Amino acid sequence: MPPAPRPLLAGLLAGVLLLPTFRPASVSAQVSTPAAPRTIAIDERLAAAAGLAVGDTVRLAATAGSPGDLVRIAAITRRGADPSEVARNEFKVRLHLDHLQSLTGSGDRVGRFAVRSRGAPSGDAAAPDRVAAAINQSAFGFRAYPASAVAVETSSTFRVVNRFHRAIGVITIVASAIFLLCITLLKVDERRRDVGALRLIGCARATVLRAIVLEATLVALIGSILGAALGWAASAIVNWYYQGVYQTPLRFTLVTPGIVGFAVALSLVLGVVSGILAGRRLVRTAPLELVGR
Amino acid sequence: MTVTPVLSAQSIRRAYPLAGRSVEAVRGLSLDVMAGEWVAVVGPSGCGKSTLLNLLGAIDRPTAGRIVIAGRDVSALGDAEATRFRLTGVGFVFQRFYLMPTLTAAENVELPMAEARMPRAARSARARELLAYVGLDGRAEHRPFQLSGGEQQRVAIARALANRPALLLADEPTGELDARTGAEMIALLDRLNHDGTTIVTVTHDEELAQAARRVVHMRDGVIVDDVVRRPLEATA
Repeated sequence: MPPAPRPLLAGLLAGVLLLPTFRPASVSAQVSTPAAPRTIAIDERLAAAAGLAVGDTVRLAATAGSPGDLVRIAAITRRGADPSEVARNEFKVRLHLDHLQSLTGSGDRVGRFAVRSRGAPSGDAAAPDRVAAAINQSAFGFRAYPASAVAVETSSTFRVVNRFHRAIGVITIVASAIFLLCITLLKVDERRRDVGALRLIGCARATVLRAIVLEATLVALIGSILGAALGWAASAIVNWYYQGVYQTPLRFTLVTPGIVGFAVALSLVLGVVSGILAGRRLVRTAPLELVGR
Repeated sequence: MTVTPVLSAQSIRRAYPLAGRSVEAVRGLSLDVMAGEWVAVVGPSGCGKSTLLNLLGAIDRPTAGRIVIAGRDVSALGDAEATRFRLTGVGFVFQRFYLMPTLTAAENVELPMAEARMPRAARSARARELLAYVGLDGRAEHRPFQLSGGEQQRVAIARALANRPALLLADEPTGELDARTGAEMIALLDRLNHDGTTIVTVTHDEELAQAARRVVHMRDGVIVDDVVRRPLEATA
């Protein structure tokens, strides 16, 4: 015996053949029709919130109180990693275009659709612009944009956020560099007696300076590798937590090979520079002064 | 036959600026030390003993006078030459040992030899030989914090002898040691001297001074007494 149909509320409907076309206020459960139920796909956030699974039967309506259709869930879709959707508390339901049109009574009206051009020579970056211009010449009541223009428009907010994050990163790096330099100076200064002893027994300034710089470089290298590992682990935890909270595959933090390489390189440069500065200060001091006499 | 001294200091002076005036720690001091001698420099605190030792070891430069060690004038060396001379020309033993805490006893002894570019195998063998000589052949792999004060001072002596210096300079070598360990250290220095090492020690330790062949008394930057207790010929 098939399971009893369950009510379904959805905030966003999308056609499977076209991009999102229609956004009714709600979809509610109503009386079933005798015809075989159509199939729909719901996103995993809705499935989790409503406790639905593939094979479940639900009623789907365009507005609360309207009769709607009995539909069967044929698939549960995973959301794309789209930052613009993360904070929206919406559910997505996908259904066949004709079903969507009949359910909403909106005919073939669509709000937005995509046109893929073909036949343009590869590397012809201006082709989409020409196609959009050609469409706009004969368009009535709508306007065409090349995909790049749409991408720029939708990503402008994230560029601002990205710049903000970059500014925070630069401030953090500068502060860390000063902190690292001070720590290295202090740690090297703690070794002034050892440096004095080395100079007293005949070790050349260059030898002592080389040893200090080598040690500072090794500490910086090991520290940067440990730091990168710690950053990777923290990133994994942050992603795991927020992907769970927002039910999205979006990666909130990234530790790329480029970032690791930059961090290690920066750390090495800072280690070498701070080692040279700290070492030069010590080897220029008289050995007897270094050993406190 | 003329015997050339290993160390010859002639009319050396060392003045320091202090509160706008010049204070002389060593005032026209002359001293000759022959090969095989063990000279103990004694005197009250502030009489210029340590300043003298620093001048003899090219740690400091005299403001006047001349110091020749093993035929080389060390009183006018530049920093790099003085550093090189401290590495190969003299061996230093300090009151507070000044061993590298992160290195083992053997590595501490090898350090001056590594700086002098001695091959690894040769310096390793020499370090073992020296540690055995000072009675630490079983402690080569121990780090300074695992050694007693006396053992650390033995390592310091082995390190000072690493590059076969013409002269061993020791600044209060028993100053940080208890009476029994101090006596062991004196015995070791005595053995070193008997085996041909020329030693100059600065000390307040009466027993150490008594063990030396020659005792030089200093006061106010000059030598006021110079007593040969055991001539070289007597124990040759």
